[in-house]
Amino acid sequence: MKSFFVRRNTLVLTAVVLILAIFAWAGWANWEYRKQAAERLLAGAGQGELVPAPGSGTPQYVSPLSSKPAPAFALEDLTGKKVALASYRGKAVLINFWATWCAPCRLETPWLIELRNKYAAQGFEILGVDTEGDDLQKSDTAGWAKDKAAVGKFVTEMKVPYPMVVDGDSISRDYGGLDDLPASFFVDRKGIVVAAQVGLTSESEIEGNIKKALNQ
Amino acid sequence: MNIWKRPFIATMTALAVIALAAHGQGSSAQSRPLAKTDAVTYLFPAQVSVTAGKPSPVALHFRIAQGLHINSHTPSEDYLIPTTFSIPDGAGVRLDAATYPVGTQMTLPADPTTKLSVYTGEFTIQARIVATPGNHLVQAKLRYQACDQNQCLPPKTITVPIDVIAK
Repeated sequence: MKSFFVRRNTLVLTAVVLILAIFAWAGWANWEYRKQAAERLLAGAGQGELVPAPGSGTPQYVSPLSSKPAPAFALEDLTGKKVALASYRGKAVLINFWATWCAPCRLETPWLIELRNKYAAQGFEILGVDTEGDDLQKSDTAGWAKDKAAVGKFVTEMKVPYPMVVDGDSISRDYGGLDDLPASFFVDRKGIVVAAQVGLTSESEIEGNIKKALNQ
Repeated sequence: MNIWKRPFIATMTALAVIALAAHGQGSSAQSRPLAKTDAVTYLFPAQVSVTAGKPSPVALHFRIAQGLHINSHTPSEDYLIPTTFSIPDGAGVRLDAATYPVGTQMTLPADPTTKLSVYTGEFTIQARIVATPGNHLVQAKLRYQACDQNQCLPPKTITVPIDVIAK
């Protein structure tokens, strides 16, 4: 009779330990899964998506910043002077993220210049934001000098009339990650993002969004 | 002894089964595809055997994601970032030389006049390496910058892992 109780207790104890081990493992696995899911969610946060445009069915970029205030920033221009987005309050602004190595960015620049000159008198301005994406460290003075020289060369060659700032990478997260360039955000006079574009579109599409920002 | 007549054990077992089932659901959700994929993937070889101290040829094969292109090693414009293969110092393996494929000429629809020199699909870099005797897990690097017809991704450096056995 005694050995029966010992055997039974051993069996029960083994079963309890086994079950507790399974619980512990399941708990750890669930925690790991939730952590990875949270990381994925965080990585995807703020990224736009392509949705069919009303009527046409053509995919259209929808930024999570749409109808929200444009994230504030103050970046250095080519002379080292800080240029703040806030200083453009009261104007419609096109924030154009681009990079020197980006051929489609270069292709749209003449359109931007033409449209900027066309609508400047109505209170429109473009802010070019150089976004090289090459993880330059703040201490890498030679790297920044090279970057600024490349941007300066482009600005001179293209006769870019609007302000150009560098280190767009430092604000890219606020603007949805900017995995693809060019990327443009159209901000109205109150500082609200009314439209966004990613990739090379067309001059007429850019002009349509400028008119939205100007509330025309 | 019928354990199912023991409420404690039966309850614990049932809870364990539920916990396992819940974990199974979590695991299946985790296998969803990632939103971002690498533009370039290293294909092979994962391992090479070479003669120690002698320059040895190794053909490195890569694949570019569909719809994307990367600049060739000799881009048509000086502002474009060339595709470059390198081996970091101190790996026991030195890159003696690298021969890159000639780029294919392509134009963007918005600018038919500018011809770009690019790689698409699969491409091979003919490397010549010199290794010291031994087994070296080399973390070689490929730097590239990818675009499609309308947009570009930031420049990227991927690791090319090669197990080099030098005898």
